Amino acid sequence: MVFSYVPVLALFLLAGGFAVFSIIAGRLSGPRRYNRAKYDAYECGIEPTPQPIGGGRFPVKYYLTAMLFIVFDIEIIFLYPWAVAFAQKGGATVFLFVEMVLFIVTVFIAYVYVWRRGGLEWD
Amino acid sequence: MPTAILASGLNASGPETAVFWILAPIAVIFALGMVFSRHTVHAALMLGGVMLILAVFYAAQDAPFLAFVQVIVYTGAVMMLFLFVLMLVGVDTKDSLVETLRGQRFAGVVAAIGFLLLLFTGIVNAGIHGSKGLHAVNFADDQPARGVENAGGNVYQIAKLLFDRYVFAFEATSALLITAALGAMVLAHRQRHTPKLTQRELMQQRFKFGTHPAPLPGPGVYARHNAVDTPALLPDGSPSPLSVSLSVELVSQKHGRAPRPAELGSSAAAHHPASGKGQSE
Amino acid sequence: MSPAIAHVAAALLPGAADPTTSFPTPHLDYRALLPMLIVGGVATLGVLVEAFVPRGKRGITQTVLALGGLVAAMVAVVSNTSIRNITAEGAISVDGPTLFIQGTVIAVSIGALLLIADRALASDADFAAQAADVPGSAAEQASVRAGFVHTEVFPLAMFAVAGMLLFPAANDLITMFVGLEVLSLPLYLLAGMARRRRLLSQEAALKYFLLGAFSSAFFVYGMALVYGYAGSVKFADIATALSSSTHGDPLIIVGLALLGIALIFKLSGAPFHWWTPDVYQGAPTPITAFMAAGTKIAAFGALMRVLFVAFGGLSWDWRPIIWGVAIVTMVVGAVIGVTQTDVKRLLAYSSIAHAGFLLTAVGGITVGTADSESSVLFYLVAYGFMTIGAFAIVMLVRDADGEANHLSRWVGLGRRSPLIAGIFAFFLLAFAGLPPTSGLWAKVAVFKAAYEGGAAPLVIVGMLASAVTAYYYVRIIVLMFFQEPAVDGPTVLAPTVFTSAAVVIGVAATLVLGIVPQPLLDLAGKAVPFLR
Repeated sequence: MVFSYVPVLALFLLAGGFAVFSIIAGRLSGPRRYNRAKYDAYECGIEPTPQPIGGGRFPVKYYLTAMLFIVFDIEIIFLYPWAVAFAQKGGATVFLFVEMVLFIVTVFIAYVYVWRRGGLEWD
Repeated sequence: MPTAILASGLNASGPETAVFWILAPIAVIFALGMVFSRHTVHAALMLGGVMLILAVFYAAQDAPFLAFVQVIVYTGAVMMLFLFVLMLVGVDTKDSLVETLRGQRFAGVVAAIGFLLLLFTGIVNAGIHGSKGLHAVNFADDQPARGVENAGGNVYQIAKLLFDRYVFAFEATSALLITAALGAMVLAHRQRHTPKLTQRELMQQRFKFGTHPAPLPGPGVYARHNAVDTPALLPDGSPSPLSVSLSVELVSQKHGRAPRPAELGSSAAAHHPASGKGQSE
Repeated sequence: MSPAIAHVAAALLPGAADPTTSFPTPHLDYRALLPMLIVGGVATLGVLVEAFVPRGKRGITQTVLALGGLVAAMVAVVSNTSIRNITAEGAISVDGPTLFIQGTVIAVSIGALLLIADRALASDADFAAQAADVPGSAAEQASVRAGFVHTEVFPLAMFAVAGMLLFPAANDLITMFVGLEVLSLPLYLLAGMARRRRLLSQEAALKYFLLGAFSSAFFVYGMALVYGYAGSVKFADIATALSSSTHGDPLIIVGLALLGIALIFKLSGAPFHWWTPDVYQGAPTPITAFMAAGTKIAAFGALMRVLFVAFGGLSWDWRPIIWGVAIVTMVVGAVIGVTQTDVKRLLAYSSIAHAGFLLTAVGGITVGTADSESSVLFYLVAYGFMTIGAFAIVMLVRDADGEANHLSRWVGLGRRSPLIAGIFAFFLLAFAGLPPTSGLWAKVAVFKAAYEGGAAPLVIVGMLASAVTAYYYVRIIVLMFFQEPAVDGPTVLAPTVFTSAAVVIGVAATLVLGIVPQPLLDLAGKAVPFLR
């Protein structure tokens, strides 16, 4: 069973390899002349200042985004076994289709509400 | 010893054992890092690492649904909530080392030892008595008696439970999700009482009051400093209070940073109109 | 689109073998499920109303929609009276007690919804103008001036009603847990939405949420242990597993104990009652009325189903525990209630004491005898209506800054507005269980059931506790009628149509059941027993 994940593993290796290659290639090919400015966070431009008042606290507005994300995250969990069952022989029944459509529509109503009431606007 | 138990009890295949021995030590290191790291965000990231490795273990042990849940719910939703709460409280907030609950440490140790014992007896039990193995439960051919019931692997089985036997509970869950969204809106969303000013209106306001039609001066740029908390110097050599944002200035004073000439005085507060805060960055 | 994705997923995934059978289609008796479907559907429609109807028309639209939905659900319940059916693949049991409790929940919800509508539509609404505003801030005042009010209370309340209908009907632990959450989650939110004394209200919501979340966790943990013992979460399977073994396994006993904690928390029985006074006091009064009546009714339905249907075989183990809980609950409700000076807190302790009286009947049950089950059902109806009525009166007695809940403000109320004070006194008599109210017959029924079930000590404690609670009810009556009113006493709001309707329903039900209790007792007798 582990072997069916080999493509995923290969992708990980490819991605990791590319990152390692880029770093090493940069080291080898680029000039290195360090001074104080080079050690700055962005090497030029604005110096970092202390966090704003409250130590980098988020506005509570993010909470809405977080909650919406979680609502649809949970929805995806139900979609996964549903998709597997639906794809199998004899799985694609009308009932299976309708119950998932009902579920998605119901959750989507929450999205419509948040959207209409300006929950997605940032001001 | 653990290898023997794993091999005999859980029917581990070769690659699975390899995956385990590569990733398990990393997971342990991450877990230790989470416990000992002083910075909450680092601890949270370490926890995310542990969760991801656990997901790989689940996948390797033929529990793809659990692996997905681990990634989507735990590493996705739960971790994000952790981080969200950290950010809401403030990442700079230092841990208080005063224990508010009496005997908390002792209780924690007792609970940890108890949990370890439980885990140990469970594993030993599985090693001694052997286990059916997931394959036997998941697939029809090994178990004629429960053949039909368990056909199709565990994701399919979960689908069958969710969308057949517990279909009503599943649909009722959508009510929970709507309530969550509704609650988030009610508790965290503020509707404006006045329409938001457009750029044009803001500009018109600046000219109407006339104190600062042009953008405010940017902060100072010097050989040694180029930070938003360093005021720019006016032609006469005095620092311009308008060039530094009020909130940055307050924080800098609190942190004892960026020498702030005394003559800045309190005029800084008075000269910050809401419009046109030109912190050209 | 999605089938294509699913095909790809199936090809990639391990273990996706072709099944030998096609995917089953569950059997759903839509007629039996209709009340729940109606209420859930109306709640969802309410969310759409929030999204699309302009602010000014939302309140009235929501009121019409919610009341219409509840009436339709009531009609559905009444037309279903002959149904005794376990449906939804064994997940929902629509039997006599379910229908009786669903009818009761819908009836008290109509009363509570009238109160909610009153306080949401009034110009000095009791619900927060904008709950996200910081209490006491300028933004809050601006929201109030702009005439904002959260009409989201309607869909939230309807979701809670849907949960209250599902909770006692659930026939397995998973469905019951979902029902528990559907009923609790909206109530946590609603508790924090008072417009006045907002910090108190928010504190109440937070306390309710945290403790409620803990109790839910206990439920899930208990569910896991029970599954470990019985290999199933279905009540029928648990009963079968119990009947085939003679000794109590620690797994199942601990599992039941954890489930019991969650259920007793919800019906505010001691020692898990601590949230009750704070939440009842902090929540907006219409919401307090709603959750005091509705949650208790639904939770008793669920408790009885768990104890009788699933764990009937363990009755020798749980019975002494229920005895203990009943005694402690009655004593706490009666004794601590005496010291209260806030009318909402007092009613909260009264509600705790009532939970204790109800538990005496549960503890006196020999599983299978119908009498004690029907006595609980009767008590729930009587309690539900008097609770709605009493909180409706609490809502009317007001100061310049909202309700005047302190008892010292109620001094001499009978001289100022004899009608309102008289009705409140009537409800207090009903709480105390004195004639001519339904409270008398309710108490007689549960104590009789407890006595016949061999729980005589409970009956004695119950009598004593009743006497103590009667003391504090009568004390309020004395204070209202036989003391001089203060000069700057509170004004009594002229009740609107909505509140009047709720009060009239409460008074009528309490009085009619007090004079002719027999028809309802017969109905309750016909409703039992639980379908196994």
